[in-house]
Amino acid sequence: MSVLAETGTFLVSFFVPCKTKLFRGKTDGRRQNSAMDKRCLKLFGIGIAAAAFMSGCGQADSTASQADMADLGQETADPGTGAGGSGVSEKDSVVVVMTANSEPEAGFDPAYGWGAGEHVHEPLIQSTLTVTTQDLDINFDLATEMECSEDGLTWTVSIRDDVRFTDGEPLTAEDVAFTYNTLRDTSSVNDFTMLEEAVAVDEDTVEFHMTRPYSIWPYTMAIVGIVPEHAYGPDYGRNPIGSGRYILKQWDQGQQVILEANPDYYGDEVKMKEVTILFMDEDAAYAAVLSGQADLAYTAVSYAEGEVPGYSLLSCESVDNRGFNLPAVPRQTLGDGTVIGNDFTSDVLVRRAINIGMDRERLIENVLEGHGSPAYSVCDKMPWYYEGSQVAYDPEGAAALLEEAGWAMGADGIREKDGQKAVLEIAYPSSDSVRQAMAAETANQMKELGIDASIRGVGWDEAYTLAYQEPLMWGWGAHTPMELYNIYHTEEDTGLARYSPYANESVDQYMDEALAASSLEESYGLWQKAQWDGITGVTQDGDIPWIWLTNIDHLYWVRDGLAVAEQKIHPHGHGWSIVNNVDQWTWGTDGE
Amino acid sequence: MNQRKKTIFWLAASALFLLAVAFLGYLWRDEALVTDFSRKNLAPCLKYPFGTDFMGRDMFVRTVTGLSLSIRLGVLTAAASAIFAGVMGIGAAVLGKAADSAITFLIDLVMGIPHILLLVLISYACGKGFWGVAVGITLTHWTSLARLIRGEVMQLKSSQYIQIAAKLGQSRLQIAGKHMLPHILPQFFTGLILLFPHAILHEASITFLGFGLSPEQPAIGVILSESMRYLAMGRWWLAAFPGALLMICVLLFRVLGESVCRLIDPGSVHE
Repeated sequence: MSVLAETGTFLVSFFVPCKTKLFRGKTDGRRQNSAMDKRCLKLFGIGIAAAAFMSGCGQADSTASQADMADLGQETADPGTGAGGSGVSEKDSVVVVMTANSEPEAGFDPAYGWGAGEHVHEPLIQSTLTVTTQDLDINFDLATEMECSEDGLTWTVSIRDDVRFTDGEPLTAEDVAFTYNTLRDTSSVNDFTMLEEAVAVDEDTVEFHMTRPYSIWPYTMAIVGIVPEHAYGPDYGRNPIGSGRYILKQWDQGQQVILEANPDYYGDEVKMKEVTILFMDEDAAYAAVLSGQADLAYTAVSYAEGEVPGYSLLSCESVDNRGFNLPAVPRQTLGDGTVIGNDFTSDVLVRRAINIGMDRERLIENVLEGHGSPAYSVCDKMPWYYEGSQVAYDPEGAAALLEEAGWAMGADGIREKDGQKAVLEIAYPSSDSVRQAMAAETANQMKELGIDASIRGVGWDEAYTLAYQEPLMWGWGAHTPMELYNIYHTEEDTGLARYSPYANESVDQYMDEALAASSLEESYGLWQKAQWDGITGVTQDGDIPWIWLTNIDHLYWVRDGLAVAEQKIHPHGHGWSIVNNVDQWTWGTDGE
Repeated sequence: MNQRKKTIFWLAASALFLLAVAFLGYLWRDEALVTDFSRKNLAPCLKYPFGTDFMGRDMFVRTVTGLSLSIRLGVLTAAASAIFAGVMGIGAAVLGKAADSAITFLIDLVMGIPHILLLVLISYACGKGFWGVAVGITLTHWTSLARLIRGEVMQLKSSQYIQIAAKLGQSRLQIAGKHMLPHILPQFFTGLILLFPHAILHEASITFLGFGLSPEQPAIGVILSESMRYLAMGRWWLAAFPGALLMICVLLFRVLGESVCRLIDPGSVHE
């Protein structure tokens, strides 16, 4: 029985993630990944030393490390050319590094989540009917006119007649209708059940017949890329044809996407002619910045502390919020055997106490090193946000509320009521270390209130069911008021909200009215009333079934000289949002 | 000091060290979960010999608790799989042809699948966490010892004094208890102790890969996988110290196993 060999195996398993990248690096002609290899080498240094010490099992590893050495040799010459920027071609091209899971697995097909997916963004390759503005109001892209009928069941949209797909064919209302009908039938990631049918009335007018009033339809129109009916098929995702700002030039799956400016684009001139997008994990993205291979790379708080010569940190405001749910009903078993509810958090006084007992500033300082802003709702800073959601940190007030609810402070610093201790377990997705830290800080702050809080990491497979009973650290935030609906509105079959048990008829009604409203402006007011109407709602004075903690800033390392166009407030998901306006990015003249 | 005394010394020293780790870790099990953001990301110093991590947890306490958890898990799984192996091994040898081929087939089956893969599958199926890992390790680590014991019993069965005992009218049970067991016990104990390091390393690997204990638990695999992201930032101590301590524990278990083997089966030294 060779324990030594086992140790070797363990050490090798330690390096598995970086070895796979290493192979990627070698097949990649452009060699952007060699920085990772450098890091791998460092790891291998430790690993090989240990493995060699333990046993003679390092044979396979040592060949890998030789290959590594070779890569490293080439790489020493690289940062010079990379950082300097070589003349004109560098001026209108940019290399962007995104998270490894930003890569659209099913390609650039809106039916499979491109743009209109779990994390929404502008589809770049395709045009959309509308766009969201800086303030997240609605503006036009393809559309020239938009009208909604009195009953909210018919939307009539006129489109530009001068737009062509990049294969030369004109974009007509037929294509628009085809796109929406296709998405209604096939979209696997987004909800299109409110659409009955899209009909092309003439060349440049399209009508949407809805199954139910849906006043925020323009927000859906802002993320659905229009595909050509004549060139759409099963392999469209790999060979997308659109009429947007960019053309897909090359896609090496698992590595990079290269976008090239569309020369016939109908809108403002595309300034950045070529955009290369690389997909890397956090550590690799940081290494790419250190070695000067990326012009802009996403990063995490833990990599944002130091200084990187030639780069500065860009911090983008977001509505990418973190918060936790508090089940608002007592523990009970439903007909199908599901256990829901939580006796402790079902008391509204307890929920209110927790909301004002959270020191959000301290949490942001501790967990995010200050890279975040306090959150008080799922939609802070959006046009449909109710300003009165904001609360001040008030530990005495929280203590008073808990006393009022009957939870008296015990000798051990934990509150008690009728012999029961105030206990709460906060779950977090085990894959997310930031949410883990946030859950830990939340638990620490709850202990100050006299609640015996603990944390537990769970996989997403069990997280959703667990959240029916216990708080879970969530991340939300989208450019649509539907987020409010998804979180607070009850579902028909259970009579409770989808993610955390909660129900309030009045809140439901306002949201239903908001969806049925005939104009967006009118609907914003109703969405705000759903949050608080003076009597009831989901804020501190209302039911407060969710506690919102912070909007995390999205962080990027940006090469000096690159002027990143002003960003809209980023939604949830640290991905494609940053390149929403990549066409307007420029290189400064003195940036070299 | 003669060889025997030296062996006893090493045996005692490593046993003491491992017991101390196991005990201290048990004592600190609450402290290891404490997060204190006012002391996060500290380099090793006198107060925190292994430094602190991004949530301000004392890495020394956490590492010792992690190893203690590993050792306790190791005791449980090694004992369970050794007993399992003993039953299977003896069963294969004495229960006749059909049982033998069935058990041998099972051994080959388990050994034919890469350990770590089977471990991931079983742990996942058992809902991960402590019991997922425990069941996974038990069900994957009994095979080689079972095979060894089976061979030993087979050999004993055909030896003359056993056959004579049978001819003299001793029952199977008497033979098994009186003549076979004393021969098998040394193998059994050595095997048991040598299972420890396997169990500990596999617990660490599977947790490192994310199929074991959940991330807030002080487990050595969790500590190592968390430390990965900080290596690029130059915080090598987050990986190096816990890794080194894990290695020391594993090596000490090996010393322990070999010492026991030498003491209860002195002949093996000359093999």
